[in-house]
Amino acid sequence: MRFSIRASGINKMVNQTPVTPVLPPSPRRGMHLLGLLWGDKFAFFSAVFLIVIIVFAVIGPSLLGDTATKLNLRARNFPPFTLERGWMYILGADALGRSMIARLIVASQNTMAIAASAVLFSMLVGGTLGLISGFSRGWVGGFIMRIADVIMSFPSLLIAVVILYMFEPSVMNLVFVLGITRMPIYMRTARAEVLEIRERLFVSAAHVMGASTTRIIVRHITPLILPTLTTIATLDFAFVMLGESALSFLGIGIQPPEITWGLMVAQGRNYLQSAWWLAFLPGLFIMCSTLSLNLLSGWVRIALDPVQRWRLEIAGDGHE
Amino acid sequence: MKYLASCLLGTALAISAITPAMAAGKTVTVVLSEEPDVIDPCEATRSNVGRIVKQNIVETLIEVDPKDGSIKPRLATAWKQTDKLTWQFTLREGVKFHDGSDFNAATAVIAINRNLNPTQDCEIRLKFFGNIKVSPKAIGDYTLEVKTDTTQPILPALMSVMVMSGPKMQPTKGSRQPVGTGPYEFVSWNPGQDVVLKRFDGYWGAKPEAEGARYIWRSESAVRAAMIKANEADIAPNIALQDATDKALDFSYFNSETSRLRIDMSQPPLDDIRVRKAMNYAIDLDALRGSIFSEGVMPMTQIVVPSINGHNPSLKPWPYDPAKARALLAEAKADGVKVDTEILMRGRLNMYPNATEAMEAMHAMLSDVGFNVKLKMVEVASWVESYTRPFAEDRGPVLQQGQHDNNSGDAVFSVYFKYACEGPQSTTCDKQVDDGIAAASAATGDERRKLWQEVMRRLHEDIVPDVQMFHMVGFSRINARLDFTPSISMNSELQIAQVKFK
Amino acid sequence: MHKYLTKRALHSFLSLAGLLVLVFFLARLTGDPGNLYLPIDATLEARQEFTEKHGLNDPIYVQFGRYVVDLAHGDLGESIRKQRPAIDVVLEAIPVTLSLAAVAMIIALLSSIVIGSLAAYRPGGVFDRVASIASLAGASAPDFWVAISAILLFSVTLGWLPTSGMGGPLTWIMPIAILIIRPFGLLVQVVRGSMITVLSSAYVKTARAKGVRERAVIFIHALRNAMLPVITVAGDQAAGIANGAVIVETIFGWPGIGKLMIDSIIQRDFAVIQTSILVTAIVILSINIAVDIAYAILDPRIRHK
Repeated sequence: MRFSIRASGINKMVNQTPVTPVLPPSPRRGMHLLGLLWGDKFAFFSAVFLIVIIVFAVIGPSLLGDTATKLNLRARNFPPFTLERGWMYILGADALGRSMIARLIVASQNTMAIAASAVLFSMLVGGTLGLISGFSRGWVGGFIMRIADVIMSFPSLLIAVVILYMFEPSVMNLVFVLGITRMPIYMRTARAEVLEIRERLFVSAAHVMGASTTRIIVRHITPLILPTLTTIATLDFAFVMLGESALSFLGIGIQPPEITWGLMVAQGRNYLQSAWWLAFLPGLFIMCSTLSLNLLSGWVRIALDPVQRWRLEIAGDGHE
Repeated sequence: MKYLASCLLGTALAISAITPAMAAGKTVTVVLSEEPDVIDPCEATRSNVGRIVKQNIVETLIEVDPKDGSIKPRLATAWKQTDKLTWQFTLREGVKFHDGSDFNAATAVIAINRNLNPTQDCEIRLKFFGNIKVSPKAIGDYTLEVKTDTTQPILPALMSVMVMSGPKMQPTKGSRQPVGTGPYEFVSWNPGQDVVLKRFDGYWGAKPEAEGARYIWRSESAVRAAMIKANEADIAPNIALQDATDKALDFSYFNSETSRLRIDMSQPPLDDIRVRKAMNYAIDLDALRGSIFSEGVMPMTQIVVPSINGHNPSLKPWPYDPAKARALLAEAKADGVKVDTEILMRGRLNMYPNATEAMEAMHAMLSDVGFNVKLKMVEVASWVESYTRPFAEDRGPVLQQGQHDNNSGDAVFSVYFKYACEGPQSTTCDKQVDDGIAAASAATGDERRKLWQEVMRRLHEDIVPDVQMFHMVGFSRINARLDFTPSISMNSELQIAQVKFK
Repeated sequence: MHKYLTKRALHSFLSLAGLLVLVFFLARLTGDPGNLYLPIDATLEARQEFTEKHGLNDPIYVQFGRYVVDLAHGDLGESIRKQRPAIDVVLEAIPVTLSLAAVAMIIALLSSIVIGSLAAYRPGGVFDRVASIASLAGASAPDFWVAISAILLFSVTLGWLPTSGMGGPLTWIMPIAILIIRPFGLLVQVVRGSMITVLSSAYVKTARAKGVRERAVIFIHALRNAMLPVITVAGDQAAGIANGAVIVETIFGWPGIGKLMIDSIIQRDFAVIQTSILVTAIVILSINIAVDIAYAILDPRIRHK
């Protein structure tokens, strides 16, 4: 039971509201939300930024893949913000004279794919394990929580080295490493939520009416814990991107010729004195994406919460 | 709250009163790239151990002159070959170890046996005496006889790695307290923090200027460079090219390393010489030099640097000629060579500064002339496994990034390992080369040099076992308060006694 | 409480046992330490001799059996690299990391409580906006990048602080500051969120209606209730630092457990890998238990259960 106590604390932090069923979308409601979004400029620009990044991630590599890997040693460390070498060099060039803007755009695909898949992986696997653990009253539940303990005290670096040594340092394997290390938080949260929810009246009612456990889990409980897990996931997005970058710093992350923002920062750090933009620009992109994601998710949390929506409706002035 | 405030204020005052350790006085502070695991004299050939102990704490019988690779006396004053398998060394008299013991033939025998003790994994034994059985014997107080099981015409050069450790050092286990005869004696090692040496008053030679030395370590090159600027350290033996931005403080020196891509000649299409030549024509070394590599690197023509006995100065580096590369490829293709086969370029992370970028650049250059190459950077353990025998059966065509260090004076330490049919890291096999190696290894003097030079020519012109890159330079940053210029030996030693203050 | 602690200790012991088994086998999947330790020119015989001597030739279950027996005798093995007992090496490193983690967490916790509460006082206000964005931005910057930039700025250009090294108070400033950034950013968010919820709850409104002064409302009534999630996250973050101050330790040259762990993993120094993971796991499990106890102290309902 004690784990439930701790993890329900996490719920409180990420999910400041009682769980509310999501309303069915309607056109009018959508327009209203858009209006609210426009009202909150921070959230609005976050949304725009994220959409741009997603577009880059989808079409970038097919459009600019060649430019991003084209060597030009004469343009090595070419400084940004001049048009001397054309628009492709507006953000400068890296240590091999490759266009920074093209690389940033192409890297967005791997970066986003890794972060999103790792977060999704840990949320799905961790969440499911947590659900099972919460629902099984016997030793299985305890066993799953011991796994969470083990993962938490296990250095992700060792997993990374094992995988790098045994397999190739590919995108998939990196997702696996990052996903596993972030799993415990979902396991604990899901379990805590289940322990609390299953005591509620409607679950007992469903039981009495003869619904199977699987059905109760899938139809009644999962929808209730999903919002909490999703909120943790948005916070985790930043963690995963930075974790990926830290692995690159230690030399055990993704390997060239693949590129991610994290790898670009790690490689660019060697040039902090002579060509600051090599590390700064990808770092800025990581920062802006995580910032946008958090601002937007904070906004969504409030916008979907009837108790707090008034804060948005009186546009930014929270004074009571 | 007031209490807290006064606490904070108190702390702030305390902080401002304490200043960080500054490089001052006549103690030299050296910042290495990593902490040594043990400070045992028998590991003196490992660079971060050697920079602390070699010729500072422990000395060798014979020293290699970094300028031209010739040998000169240190603890031995004279030597001669008495028969095919025996050398005799006359030792310096009046030399004392730091613990008061006398240095003589008997203690030299103990030291040699300690270095070659098979229960220890000492690098001196494993790297230089793996195939030689050495039996030292004292035949007088100051006369040492060394017998070997095979002819060793260059045993004196080999003795330049044989350090003389104190006779009371425990023989079977790695030491944390080295004792020797050198100008500095070991004081302390605070694990994780520093190693401290002080000047040895009973030293047999000239009294050095520096009173002591302190070694610390930081793994980031940028931090090491910053420490010299901030006056926290005096010598950073190696910093990365991009951190060597200050002409007044940064010295470049040939570090005796030679970098190349090893071509696995047993695997088609790399068994075709036109393919191997095309690879060399495809690499624009001039573009790499001064960008990813330092301005000071020298295009290589052979595996050893010019100061090594056996270097052949008449060989010319491959010119950059992409048209010729394409033509050679087309020619090979016309003869049925499968030049479109995917070739793996296996690089090693952090092998040298910018190693990854270098591989990326060469990948692009090879692709440009039409090779189907794939780049893979691996971590050091996987790299070692694929670099040394036994090689995997199904390895396929591979170009493997390599860097070789030879500062021991003679080509024998390089050529056999890299190019002999049985060489532990060789993917080449040529009868003429093998015969040449055998002949040169047994010869001495001018004949030896000529024989090596012929082997080098054969490799460079007729075999082409490498995509040739550079003889590398290293960068040291030296505090402006010192008068000291690093040399080619910086990779394995750093003689504090040579440091002068301005 | 006693019964509970005993149960927790037992559970932790099981987790540790599982962890050790996992580490033992995973570490051995990463290859032969001899390849890395011996010079590249070492002969094949020398390599075989090396693996033989260190017992790496035996079947893995034999190696594991030996490890378990030694462990039962309190012997954690010897470092191949450093040629001394692994536990000595680890015990030298762990205090460094623990002191870093303790100082960093105390400062991060105190400052984030103050700033988070102030931000929650007027959600959406200017202070809230600035605090939220600044703390989030800090938390999403790559720490090695911030660290190297800070050295170049504060030590080289301005000359205010020593570049690196562990020593007097001045040497602590930059490593601690870098370590704080991420927990601080997260904790500010958590404190703020938690405080907003508590402040809008019924009993705080009652307290206000009773005429309790505003500041007292925030710092006494509300904070106590808002602390639970804060402690959870703080515990998580502390565990993270205990396990992963590796970047700060690497850059600033602090001989802590994170640096030791990555070095031993890269060098395949199995005894040190196993021992350092064991010791950090004990620390992390203790933090977990401490967090639960803090919960019990803060929340009377839990205490009475």
